[in-house]
Amino acid sequence: MSPQPNAQLSLHELKRRRPRERLVQITLLLLVLLTCYAWTCGDIHLNDLDLARRTENLERFVQEDLAPYSLRDQEHSWTDVAAWAWTIAVTRGFEGALQTLAMATVAITLSAMVAFLLLWCAARTSATARPYGDGRGRETLAWRAVRMSTTALFVYLRAIPEYIWAFLLVAMLGPSAWPLILALAIHNSGILGRLGAETVENLPPRPLTALRTLGATRTHIGLFAATPGFLSRFLLYVFYRYETCVREATVLGMLGIASLGYWIEDVRTKRYYDEMVLLVAMGALLVLCVDLLSAWVRRRLRQAS
Amino acid sequence: MKRWLERRNWPLGTRGATVLALLCLGALCAWWLQLSPSGLLPREGGVRLAGQFFARALTPAWDYETPPPEGTPPLVMKALEGARRTVVFAAAGMSLALVFGLVLGFLGSSAWWPQRMRTSGVGPVVWTIARAIMVGMRSVHELLWAVLFLAAFGLNSFTAVVAIALPYGGTLAKIFSEMIDEAPRDSAGALRQLGANGTQTFLLGLLPRALPDMWAYAFYRFECAIRSSAVLGFFGFETLGYAIKQSFENLQYGEVWLYLWTLFGLVVLVELWAASARRRFVA
Repeated sequence: MSPQPNAQLSLHELKRRRPRERLVQITLLLLVLLTCYAWTCGDIHLNDLDLARRTENLERFVQEDLAPYSLRDQEHSWTDVAAWAWTIAVTRGFEGALQTLAMATVAITLSAMVAFLLLWCAARTSATARPYGDGRGRETLAWRAVRMSTTALFVYLRAIPEYIWAFLLVAMLGPSAWPLILALAIHNSGILGRLGAETVENLPPRPLTALRTLGATRTHIGLFAATPGFLSRFLLYVFYRYETCVREATVLGMLGIASLGYWIEDVRTKRYYDEMVLLVAMGALLVLCVDLLSAWVRRRLRQAS
Repeated sequence: MKRWLERRNWPLGTRGATVLALLCLGALCAWWLQLSPSGLLPREGGVRLAGQFFARALTPAWDYETPPPEGTPPLVMKALEGARRTVVFAAAGMSLALVFGLVLGFLGSSAWWPQRMRTSGVGPVVWTIARAIMVGMRSVHELLWAVLFLAAFGLNSFTAVVAIALPYGGTLAKIFSEMIDEAPRDSAGALRQLGANGTQTFLLGLLPRALPDMWAYAFYRFECAIRSSAVLGFFGFETLGYAIKQSFENLQYGEVWLYLWTLFGLVVLVELWAASARRRFVA
């Protein structure tokens, strides 16, 4: 082995020659400046941090609001509290949690299907005049337009948050489960579509090109070579988004759709903070369970691929 | 049951089974929720509303649709001001989340703990506590944190910042700890053989290998924080969501579309910035 040229250099020289990117440096500087600006521009009122008053608020909240209402004026043991919590869980919590879960499942299934159908129009390797080729040859304007518009659609779908989609859709469709499901599906198809298209682009090109030279059509390659190749990773993304879907579905109920969030908003407007905290905790527990489930599925998928 | 679950050769293979299970579950849930395509048709009044709303998509209002009180700034300025506030809350929340994320992420990564502490008992306890805090912060959605803090502290700017910072801090901590644990150990091993102690190995050998990924991920979360910060407006903080909600309830759809396009522009701008920076970070 020949001695590496770097070995001759002094530390000082090495430091001077390290790879540096202007954009990265500017980005870091800008982000630091932005943070300083954010804290000092006056929108975040530092005197809001009036600790004495906040602590007082918090104490009132913890000591008065959080005690179960029906037990407030009497001696109560932990068994009473547990019984109270159980009543709330049975009357609203469990059904809300199940409904949240069901809506998130429908939404993720829908968005996975939509993303799967659309991503072929966005991936650079499949949406060209000569799909899965060696990259040479002229690009037609029509295919470029298809690709650009699909990509732009994905960007638009995911740039607007689910909550805003749901807010707009509730006004149009009324308070059924659809606005929530559609809002989640719209946002997530944008995300899954982009991630899926990237995965297709990053597939090893040789086997696909070989099939192409053997005369396979776009559809053949897409269905029987590209799909098996990218499915594992795509499913990983789907389950990763499923967690987020459940989190969001809980919250979107606050717009008046029967998920866990509906009951949270219900007790919030009535200022029954004791019940609110309990329901929020139930939501957290639901998210945690789905986290574990999705982690298990993803581990199995990774083992299998 | 366990052996059956761990078995490698399911009929159809793992992926096929997963796809089939997902589709069946989706159909089952749709049936249970009694979803029907007719629900997709807007109700009475909804059709008119949808028509009026989407008609303005490409022609957002550039000026107030009803004359505002004397002295209000022009509509475009109001949208930009909303966008500025959105970024301010997102940036403040993210900076706090970064602190939470780094501290908890280090404590919750197994690479941080030297071998000897791992066996003596201090490590596992702190590790478990850090993990539990992470999970707790992450499992509650930022809007639910906001709702809780609104109840506990009342409406003030810190409520929004902390509501963003807690769940984002939890997520950052989780991802950071995974990145630190999965970073290549080559330079750390070299340093250790040269006689560096645990802290030196971690800070100079392991951390620099994980740092580009960590930065890239944190930047991506900043983009998400902007969306969350906009949505927090629906709960009374004066970000873009606040303006969207107000204008929509006043049926001023042109204004709503101006705000929506502003938000869209903001998110796309940050996304392009993040994407080009990320490409250079990670490469």
